[in-house]
Amino acid sequence: MDVVLRTDSLTKIYKSPIAQRRVKAVDSLSIEVCRGEIFGFLGPNGAGKTTAIKMLTTLLSPTSGKASILGKPLSDMSLKSRIGFLPEQPYFYPYLSGAELLDFCAQIFGIPSAERRKKIEGLLRIVGLQESGKRRVSTYSKGMLQRIGLAQAMVNDPEFVILDEPLTGLDPVGRKDIRDVILGMKERGSTVFFSSHILPDVEMICDRVGILIGGRLISVGKLDELLSGDVESIEVTAEGLPGSELEQMEQRSQRILVSGDRAMIEVNSPDRAGEVQRAILGCGGRIVSVIPRKKTLEELFIKEIGAHREEKP
Amino acid sequence: MRTAAVIRNTFRQAVRDRVLYVLFFFGILTIGSGAVIGPLSLGEAPKISKDLALAAISIFGVLTAILIGTRLVYEEIEKKTVYLIVPKPIKRWQFLLGKYLGLMCVLALILLAMTVVLVLYVYLSEGKFQFCLLQAVLLTFFELAVVTAVATFFSTFATPVGSGIFTFAVFFVGHVTRDLRALGEISDSVAVKLFASFAYYVLPNLSNFNIRGEVVHGVSVPWSQLVYAMSYGLMYAVILLVASVLAFQRRDF
Repeated sequence: MDVVLRTDSLTKIYKSPIAQRRVKAVDSLSIEVCRGEIFGFLGPNGAGKTTAIKMLTTLLSPTSGKASILGKPLSDMSLKSRIGFLPEQPYFYPYLSGAELLDFCAQIFGIPSAERRKKIEGLLRIVGLQESGKRRVSTYSKGMLQRIGLAQAMVNDPEFVILDEPLTGLDPVGRKDIRDVILGMKERGSTVFFSSHILPDVEMICDRVGILIGGRLISVGKLDELLSGDVESIEVTAEGLPGSELEQMEQRSQRILVSGDRAMIEVNSPDRAGEVQRAILGCGGRIVSVIPRKKTLEELFIKEIGAHREEKP
Repeated sequence: MRTAAVIRNTFRQAVRDRVLYVLFFFGILTIGSGAVIGPLSLGEAPKISKDLALAAISIFGVLTAILIGTRLVYEEIEKKTVYLIVPKPIKRWQFLLGKYLGLMCVLALILLAMTVVLVLYVYLSEGKFQFCLLQAVLLTFFELAVVTAVATFFSTFATPVGSGIFTFAVFFVGHVTRDLRALGEISDSVAVKLFASFAYYVLPNLSNFNIRGEVVHGVSVPWSQLVYAMSYGLMYAVILLVASVLAFQRRDF
C-alpha cells in the first residue's frame, strides 16, 4: 500500500519556563496512513490530537521524531501545495465574503485568476454554500463556517486532507452534510486524516482509526478488526411475561430492563437466547424482537480509556 | 503572487476598518482647522496653516500606522487566522512582508488623500502652491515606513496594547534622539549617558524626516538630504522587518 502519511516517534514536549514543568503532549507517535483511506484520529479532549495535527501542518515544531507526507519531509514547501487543512474551530477573516475567502486561499496556492472563479463556484456548490458565497463570513452560522472551512481545504485539489474536529458543535443535519463532504473528498481521490471524538460518525465513514490517549497511540487498525465481527450480546424483547417468569430469567440473563408489560432481556450467547425465547413462548409471552449487538467504537473507546487510567492511576 | 495576495487582503482588511475612516476624518478636520486658527496668528496665517496641515498628515498617519500596525500580526495569531496561512505554500517572511506592504499601501492612500486636501487648501487660500510642501509629505511617508516596521516588529510577540505603547515610545524618543545625545554629553550620570547613547544609536532618528520647519517658509530641502533620509528610513525598516521575520519564523502557534 502507498503510504501517504508516516510519523516516526513524533514527540512534543511543552516546557513551562516559570514552573519548570514538562508536559508531554504527544509521546512517540508512530503512525501510517495509506493512500485513498479515511483515517479517524480519535481521542478524548486533551489527548494530544490537535498538537499532533499542528506538528503535521508546521504550526508547531516537534521536540523530537520525524514525519513525512507524500514521501516528503514536512519542511518541504512544495508539499504544502498538495495538502488541505481545516483547523479546529476555524476563524476566518470576518471582513471577507465566503467567495473572497476562497479566492484569497486560491491566490496563496498560486492558482491563476482564470481558474479561480470556476473553482470557487464549484467548491461553494460542493459544500452547499452557493447561495451564501457573497455574504460575509462574520454572518455565517457554525455549520456554514465548517463548510466554508472544508471548501478552503479543498481549494488546491489536495492529495492529503487534514481535518481537525470537523464535526464538533454541529447538529445532526450539519454532521451528515460534513460527513457527505468528507466522503466526497475520498471519492475525488483524496486521502483524509481527521480527528474527532464523535464516534458514531467516525464509525460510519472511517476505514481505519487510531486512538490517542494521554499523547500515546493506544490502538490502531481497521474498524472491523478493532471491533471484531463477533456478536457481543443478544437483546430479546418480549411482552406479556408473568412476574414469576421474569424472576427466573434474571438468572439466565446478563440484565433485564422492564417497562410496563414489556421486558428487554440481554443474554451473552445464541444458546442462551434460544433458551430465553423458548421460555417466553412456553409461559404464554410474545416475542417482539431479537437483536444481536456487536461491539461499538464507543465501547472500544471507553474500554481503552479505562485501561489507560488503570495503567496510570 | 503569494505576497501580493496577502498585500491585497491586508489592504482590504484596513479599508474595511472603521478606525481608518475616523482617523482620516479627524485628519481632514485638522487640516481644515487651519482656516480658523491661522487668522489668530497675527500675520503668520499661511505658515501656521501649512504647519498645522503637515503636522496633521504626520500625526494621523502615525496613529493609523500604530493602531492598525500593532494589530497586524498579533490578531492573526490571537484569532488563529494564521492557522489558515502557515500550512499553505507561503513562506513566513512572504506573509509578514505582505502584511507590512499591505498597510504601507493603505498609508500611501491616506497620505495621498490628505495631500490632495492640503494642495487644494493652500491653492485656494494663497492662489499658488509650493511644491516643497510635497517634499515634507514624501519624508512623512518614509517616517511611516519606519514606524510601521516598528509596530510590525512588536506585533510579532506583544499584545496590541503593549506594541502600541512600545511603538509610541519609540516614535516619541525617535524625535528627540539628538537632544538626548546632547543631554548625555553634558550629563555626569553614567545611566543618562548610556540611555542617551542607546537612544541615539539604536532607536530610529525620526527628526531626519521632519523638514516641516523649512518647507512652510517656502524653503526647498536639497535632494541629497531627501535621498539620505529616504535611504536611512528604508534601511531601518528593512532591518526591523528582518528582525520581525526572525521572531516570527521561530514561533510555534
